Amino acid sequence: MRYLLIILMLSFPTLTFSQPNCNFYKIDSTENDPCYQACLLATEAEGGQGSRKSQGLFDKAIELCPSLDYAYYEKSVPYLKRGDLITWKKLIDKAVALNPTGRLGYRGWCRYQFVKDYKGAIQDIEKLDSLVKYDIGYSQNGDYHLNIVKALCYKAIGQKEKAISIIENQLQQDNYSPLPYDFLHLGVLKMEMGYTDEALKDLQKSIQLNSYLADSYYYLGLIYKKAGQYKSFKENMEKAKALYLKGYKRLDSYTEPLDKVYLADIQAELNG
Amino acid sequence: MQVGDIYFNSKIDDPDFKVCDDNNVLQYYNFGNGIQYEGEKLAINKYFIGELKSKGLKKDTGYITIRFIVNCEGRLGRFRVQEMGNDFNEKEFSSDLKNQLLNLTKGMSGWMVGEHQGKSYDYYQYLTFKVEGGSLVEIMP
Repeated sequence: MRYLLIILMLSFPTLTFSQPNCNFYKIDSTENDPCYQACLLATEAEGGQGSRKSQGLFDKAIELCPSLDYAYYEKSVPYLKRGDLITWKKLIDKAVALNPTGRLGYRGWCRYQFVKDYKGAIQDIEKLDSLVKYDIGYSQNGDYHLNIVKALCYKAIGQKEKAISIIENQLQQDNYSPLPYDFLHLGVLKMEMGYTDEALKDLQKSIQLNSYLADSYYYLGLIYKKAGQYKSFKENMEKAKALYLKGYKRLDSYTEPLDKVYLADIQAELNG
Repeated sequence: MQVGDIYFNSKIDDPDFKVCDDNNVLQYYNFGNGIQYEGEKLAINKYFIGELKSKGLKKDTGYITIRFIVNCEGRLGRFRVQEMGNDFNEKEFSSDLKNQLLNLTKGMSGWMVGEHQGKSYDYYQYLTFKVEGGSLVEIMP
């Protein structure tokens, strides 16, 4: 049974993490450097995420090298995923204190995704932005640039104009390629603010980028409905439903994405 | 042993609630399907918003997390509660709100059996309720 559990854990999705290069700790030292040894322990932790064995290895790594933020960070993850936010925050705060530029973006994203602590997420992302001169990077799951995450947080606390402005600014950045949900969120924001023509264009762009997403067709359908274009409304809702039933919908193994559409939403519109 | 494991406690747990395999209780996210509930997350939101009686509640703010097991037959048990303020420290909510959320969680009927390749598994699930001024504002995950 334990063998089966290992197979299952390898088969199912888990968040992916970038590991540190432990050789960094040997640059000015030797293989006996406690932080090098601690890094090896932390990166080779076995037994499955959240297991007593792997958590114990992180503890040992921290004991050997109290400045190894990676060990605190990895140790914190199962608490976050399993709903123990108190323990998670204590551990991730230590990682952030040891390595602010490396961990603030991650903590900010988690405060958005798992805690709905929108103001805290904004603080973390803005703090990171103030500390670095390079691009602040992306969410842990790769769905968003952190500036888009910040915009979604502003939306969640009611500052929708600011959210629109942040997304539009991000889309205008050199060397930035829109991610699959950028125009979806922008279109929904504009629809909610009554900027119907712009919302229509943004949702059409969303479909150009990713034509296999029920959510974009649903919101496009709502716009056509409001405009009295019932044929287009119906076509888009039917498309949304067909895609949804095939599994082409927003899905995250851990949490529910913002602006996610549900089958009952689509069906309610079709039932009129 | 895993982070978040919940062991039977005869003082608070229903002795009739059984798990199929105590050594192999998965996490909800292991299935890769998100929230596995009849009617999806929307139905969970509607259930709590519809059933929670917020009138007269103390104006508490923070988070209440209820973690439990959905067994291989879809039954629920071994409920545990964590209460937290917005500062991520422990805090105590009014028992009225806490008990309502706990009893409503115990009364949920739409959790699906965790299945993989035709086999049913027990799994851990949690619900975190974000509360502002005594009102339920969001439910996670």
